[in-house]
Amino acid sequence: MKCDTFYLIGMYTKTIMKSWFQYKIDAVLRSLAVFLREATGIIVIYFTLLKFDTLNGWNLYEMLFLFSFLFVTYGILILFFTGLRDFGDTVRNGNFDRFILRPRGLLFQIIFINADWFAAIGHGCLGIALFIISAGKVGVEWNVISIFYAIVTIVGGVFIQGAIFLFLATLNIYLLETDSLKEIFYWNMRKFAGYPISIFHKGIQMIMIYIVPFAFVNYFPVQFLLRKADMAQYPSLFMYMTPLVGAGMYLLAYGFWRLSLKYYKSSGN
Amino acid sequence: MENLIEVKNVSKTFKVNKRANGIPGMVANLLVPKFEQKQAVKDISFSIKEGEMVGFVGPNGAGKSTTIKMLSGILYPDSGEIKVNGYVPYKQRKDYVGSIGVVFGQKSQLQWDLPVIDSFELLKAIYRVPEKVYQRNLERFTDMLNMGGFINQPVRQLSLGQRMRADIAAALLHSPRIVFFDEPTIGVDVVGKEKIREFIRELNRKDKVTMLFTTHDMQDIEKTCNRLIIIDKGSKVYDGTLFGIREKYGTTRQLDVEFKDNCEIEPIKNVEIKQIDELDGRKKRFIFENKDVQINELMNELLAKYNVRDLNISEPEIESIIRKIYSGKDVVL
Repeated sequence: MKCDTFYLIGMYTKTIMKSWFQYKIDAVLRSLAVFLREATGIIVIYFTLLKFDTLNGWNLYEMLFLFSFLFVTYGILILFFTGLRDFGDTVRNGNFDRFILRPRGLLFQIIFINADWFAAIGHGCLGIALFIISAGKVGVEWNVISIFYAIVTIVGGVFIQGAIFLFLATLNIYLLETDSLKEIFYWNMRKFAGYPISIFHKGIQMIMIYIVPFAFVNYFPVQFLLRKADMAQYPSLFMYMTPLVGAGMYLLAYGFWRLSLKYYKSSGN
Repeated sequence: MENLIEVKNVSKTFKVNKRANGIPGMVANLLVPKFEQKQAVKDISFSIKEGEMVGFVGPNGAGKSTTIKMLSGILYPDSGEIKVNGYVPYKQRKDYVGSIGVVFGQKSQLQWDLPVIDSFELLKAIYRVPEKVYQRNLERFTDMLNMGGFINQPVRQLSLGQRMRADIAAALLHSPRIVFFDEPTIGVDVVGKEKIREFIRELNRKDKVTMLFTTHDMQDIEKTCNRLIIIDKGSKVYDGTLFGIREKYGTTRQLDVEFKDNCEIEPIKNVEIKQIDELDGRKKRFIFENKDVQINELMNELLAKYNVRDLNISEPEIESIIRKIYSGKDVVL
């Protein structure tokens, strides 16, 4: 990347920040709202597990640890991929036409022109909080290797979800409305990913591993660190595959995106 | 001079979902969607030379916007060739778009919540406009478009006319060689429109910027363009000068005569009048073909035989001529 590209990213970020500060109170409230909405789900699990002690061998802190990967990756994801999350709107209101008219990469513009800081702060803070609460109590020995592993898998997890976003965004070129697909393939799967996948029916496990591979975002990485008994039923190779799955899926989604651009129909006026 | 824009046999078809009416229709459409091919642009060809200012006119749905979108690289044509400034727009997008500016009257490219100047600064970075060029353009446009009073105001507080002026400036900050305007005066009041036209004319004259613009306001065309392309139902139906269109289609004339007394008009020898309408008072309207009638003969005849108070001759307005071309009917004045 050229120096000029970084300058533009800086300008985009400055613009996002300026818009943000137009509505200061709203900004703070929205971050808080996201935090509380997501935290509610955690609280429910917290009280459930107080009663049951463990879930398929996973205790409360291990569950929170599993959750923390989900929230931290989403917090990072949404900083970069807000534009893909909202791509349906961008197409419908004709803003994508404008991106095409500017001498910059299309995906580059989509990624850097907007960032939902509210969601990033809400999810990110929750993720970090959960990580801090649980990391010391799940028996992980934090050394160079485990820290390096955690960072690499978090990046991989961001790319896996980014690829899902990119794939769903690309579908917007063909179908004007894809929100319900996102609801089914992203948000519902993400709900499953909050639990160790071993508790689910085989069919759901297959989907979580091979189709919408959320298992590689948190379950397998956490298994590498915790080595719970239920890992025995999966190939141990899976614990090392997160970055590979992330890169592979992202490349695939990117190819689909490039291929689809020439079918873009614009929304008319 | 070389052709800056070259369009050859371009067609574009859209697949549209054909919906049946009512709730049963909605259900049927959900289960078995029916698609219809809608040909938005049919085999259009034209070329535009450097420095030309061309009006692009047609009724709603004629294919104007589709053509502009193909020219600017937003849409791929199904068939045919497009070359603008030496580039194939939809293939060499990144290299190409730096040399064009596009104004969509219906769609602002400014940041809604931020002052106008912030959007300009962002565009400067996006288009890599050198500082010197940016300052010069900014100063010039601010002055020409009278933006000094609102350049530091958030876009959401601007009037439509102000926003449009800011949008036009935004599309020109990188000094494009070619500018496409898609309804640049829509919704703007008379004074605002005049300012915009003046600016467009000036830019064409001084900077030799090549322009193509669509509008529904014939005044826009008459006051700015010397060439007109009319498309209807996706096909080009006229390409030539404004004068030529009068020559070709606007052949009827009308003569309004106010008489001192009520009188019956007798047929006039050698003068073929198509129609005489009775207007209020003692006025009559004579409608005739320009080529059939020598106006001086008609007037002499009338002045000699009747007591005439006032005469007024008029030719059809461009707008009604164009309406005629759309509908294929005679011009009603």
